[in-house]
Amino acid sequence: MRKSSLFSVGLAGIISLAAPGGLRAQSASIQALANVFQPITITGARDLDFGNVFPGVNKTIAVADPTSGRFDLTGQASANVNLTFTLPANLTNGANNLPIGTWTGCHNATNSTAGCTSFTPSGAPTAASFSGAGALFVWVGATVSPAAAQAAGNYTGTVTLSVAYF
Amino acid sequence: MSRCSALLGMVLLLPASPLVAQTVTGVRDLNFGFVVRGVQTTVPPSDPIRSGQFYVRYVIGGRVQLRFTLPTVLNRIGGGATMPIGFRNNDGIARATSPASVPVTFNPNAVTNFRLVTSPDFNVWLGGRVSPSAIQATGSYAGTIVLTCTFF
Repeated sequence: MRKSSLFSVGLAGIISLAAPGGLRAQSASIQALANVFQPITITGARDLDFGNVFPGVNKTIAVADPTSGRFDLTGQASANVNLTFTLPANLTNGANNLPIGTWTGCHNATNSTAGCTSFTPSGAPTAASFSGAGALFVWVGATVSPAAAQAAGNYTGTVTLSVAYF
Repeated sequence: MSRCSALLGMVLLLPASPLVAQTVTGVRDLNFGFVVRGVQTTVPPSDPIRSGQFYVRYVIGGRVQLRFTLPTVLNRIGGGATMPIGFRNNDGIARATSPASVPVTFNPNAVTNFRLVTSPDFNVWLGGRVSPSAIQATGSYAGTIVLTCTFF
């Protein structure tokens, strides 16, 4: 029994070896893998609206305020995404600028700011997740700082949200 | 008597020329990660994380023939769908492990021969692309890539 075992080991060793000038073939395999997700949709659901502001008086809109900005997203259920913003430094009215900053953000899997996850919107990615139903909501707030001599008029700017799976 | 027979069997199986180890190993899966319906996704063979990788070892001066068996579709795990996968003529890269070696691009759809000059081993990287349809069923997909090496 012992001798038989030794012989088997020797035979296996020989089979796995080849000599130059001979011809042997060996195979190995790997997998090709992919996860198909639903496309992400983003809707600018509500503008960030500061309403009337007055020269020399800062005005802040918090994420839970009724005039905060809101984006509604749909995508792959429970999937992780990165939120990345392109934010204006000023709102503009022709050649006039109205500084805007101190951005605040919050995201939630349900359409409510109650219990939402706070973050600071910026060009750096922020991680978030879709709900089990594939929904995600994002709110943004900010502060405008009109100068004492701020020209009257309507000022606008664009807030852009980009979303990608990770 | 029994012991003598066993020794004789071993001697008869030994090749006349020196023995050389040969190895083909699957190192890393070709992983497309997250793909979106209707959006073709490509992984180049130079991708350090997502490209597929094999390791091949033979002997300096030896010749190795590479032959891939490539899938045309990936199958949805759990069934119910397939997703096309393709490989272009520059989706293969081979490079010996010696620092002086130069990467060689090749077509994984064709049989390719290499002679080992600078080192007895080399790596093979494989890229590709998947083309999910606009109504592609969501889920995880997989397919098998086989590399068969013939050693001369």
